Amino acid sequence: MLRYRNLLEALAAAPANRPFVTAWVDEDEQQTLTFAEFRLRARQQANILRDHRVAAGDRVVIIMPQRIPAMTTFVGAMMLGAVPTFLAYPNFKIEPAKYRSGLAGVTANLKARVVVIDQEFPDDMLGHVSLGAETKLIRIGVGTPAQGDTEILTPKIEPDSLAFIQHSAGTTGLQKGVALTHAAGLRQLEHLSRALKIDGKTDRIYSWLPLYHDMGLIACFMLPMVCHIPLVMQSPMDWVMHPRTMLQIISEHKCTLAWMPNFAFQFLPRRTPPSRWAQYDLSSVRALINCSEPVRANSMLEFENAFAAAGLKSAALHSSYAMAENVFAVTQSSIDGSHGPARLCADGVQFRGAHRIVPAVEGTPGAMAFTSSGRLLPHHEIRILSDAGTILGESCVGEILVKSDCLFDGYYNRPDLTAQALVAGWYRTGDLGFCRDGELYVVGRKKDLLIIGGENIYPQDIEEIVEGHSAIHDGRVIAMGVYNPDLGTEDIVVVAEVERDELLTGAAEIERELRSLVVAGMGVAIRSIFLKPPKWIVKSTAGKPARSATREKLFQEHPELGVDS
Amino acid sequence: MTAEAQQMIQHIVQLIRKPGVTLDENTPLVSSGLIDSMSLIDLLLKLEDLTHMRIPAGKVQPKDLDTVAKMFATAQRVGKPRK
Repeated sequence: MLRYRNLLEALAAAPANRPFVTAWVDEDEQQTLTFAEFRLRARQQANILRDHRVAAGDRVVIIMPQRIPAMTTFVGAMMLGAVPTFLAYPNFKIEPAKYRSGLAGVTANLKARVVVIDQEFPDDMLGHVSLGAETKLIRIGVGTPAQGDTEILTPKIEPDSLAFIQHSAGTTGLQKGVALTHAAGLRQLEHLSRALKIDGKTDRIYSWLPLYHDMGLIACFMLPMVCHIPLVMQSPMDWVMHPRTMLQIISEHKCTLAWMPNFAFQFLPRRTPPSRWAQYDLSSVRALINCSEPVRANSMLEFENAFAAAGLKSAALHSSYAMAENVFAVTQSSIDGSHGPARLCADGVQFRGAHRIVPAVEGTPGAMAFTSSGRLLPHHEIRILSDAGTILGESCVGEILVKSDCLFDGYYNRPDLTAQALVAGWYRTGDLGFCRDGELYVVGRKKDLLIIGGENIYPQDIEEIVEGHSAIHDGRVIAMGVYNPDLGTEDIVVVAEVERDELLTGAAEIERELRSLVVAGMGVAIRSIFLKPPKWIVKSTAGKPARSATREKLFQEHPELGVDS
Repeated sequence: MTAEAQQMIQHIVQLIRKPGVTLDENTPLVSSGLIDSMSLIDLLLKLEDLTHMRIPAGKVQPKDLDTVAKMFATAQRVGKPRK
């Protein structure tokens, strides 16, 4: 990769007739473009953009359905030396007002030359988006590609020119635009492809990941583009509706690599009837990588147990720690081994109280299991920092700081946010974790952490215990810290959905059982448990409980909890 | 009203768990806050079952599901017969 000066040179070097993208809609509707066809379509899109006076350095915001035209528009913009970015296309589950305000915020900050939408983009979602005098809205047809081919006179694109902007995770309106150069992108892809031992002749990626997210954009678009390997992609919405189509596509196309966040490792087996598990063929998969959320050992195990019957090799389950600010991956679990990522059992009391990892025998009461996110990629460094700002050693838990040769230079147009995040060349991730034996373990987000009487409590650990109770719906539990002014510390409050309404009549008994389970498992007491009927907890896209929205709802229904700060 | 629309209304009544709420084909559901966005996946799956169609979720917007009548119109517009 380092032999290329920019990402477009890497695309230009791809074999003309090799398949690149297959957009999978359903059994009857699939479209595949070879690398040559993709390059042609990208040039056609570049022509359209040039007609709208897009030039080098201009920002191009792309809000199109997750299909091939979105991708060719992205590359077409790069061919002009412009700086493209994907934003989420509105879907049936979004809140229109929130979407509109997010869109307005992000586009205003980017001062884009054009915002590209498709013909079917719903007008009510554009609302009052103030596009500014310099910004033009253009609609590009998704169905009928532009005709003709003109050579695009690509301006000289230096390695340190901006290649694209990807938005960090977060609520749409608060998303930060991470500006990345061609060189940073190529260096990341070089490290990642080596760590994954990418083979241009045999590898094939499967993805349902949104292109506006780093996993979708880097691992499942830029990586195959630069390494010249095929990609089979579906839209995130189609996947959420019918998650098992992922298993079907991997079986049919013999995909070898895929990424997904931790929740999907549980979502898939739970949304696929057990009678069907063995019908799929996942034997082609050599790495299914758990990425972008803390890796939970139980989720990996649930997936492995379900799909071993489909030929899934347990050594094929992997993990990675990645973020938009570093282009993508910081760590990757070793692909060589006969097993997946390293696991570790440690004493829970030491972990919470002293913020240290003291190994314990698996199965000992109070012991906790951790799954590694892998080893650092070359030219990457991390530091673990205490709250007081001192650098911690191995086996100590603190905030993860990252430095690398592909780190971003700053958030687009936001020097204020950049100054908070980048300190002397180190990026403060806001994630908590520890290092041991060369492996990085990520344990949670700093802002989600509950500090109870000096002990660090990770809400996920409480949630896992509570959802293990037979009356509680799996995955529908949120633990949160609520400040107790009398004690000067936070108390733990849990809200959980019962499996069926009738169970609420036995709420007192269930509550008592949950309290003793949490005390036994973690040595901490819960102040209040709120048992709710099914579907009470507010969910995010793809069905994960939405922490802050649920908290807000709970405070509204239970003003006795006090004022939320 | 078709039997399918009737079944959909019953399904929604069970889903929203609000005693005393009556619905017809034209009751706004999303814009009135009667159903939350996560339930929409459930409704789309139910709509697929009732119409024997496959509905490409990417082509559906919140306003397309705001009433039972609009749901069935959307299925006709974007749905594909299921094998």
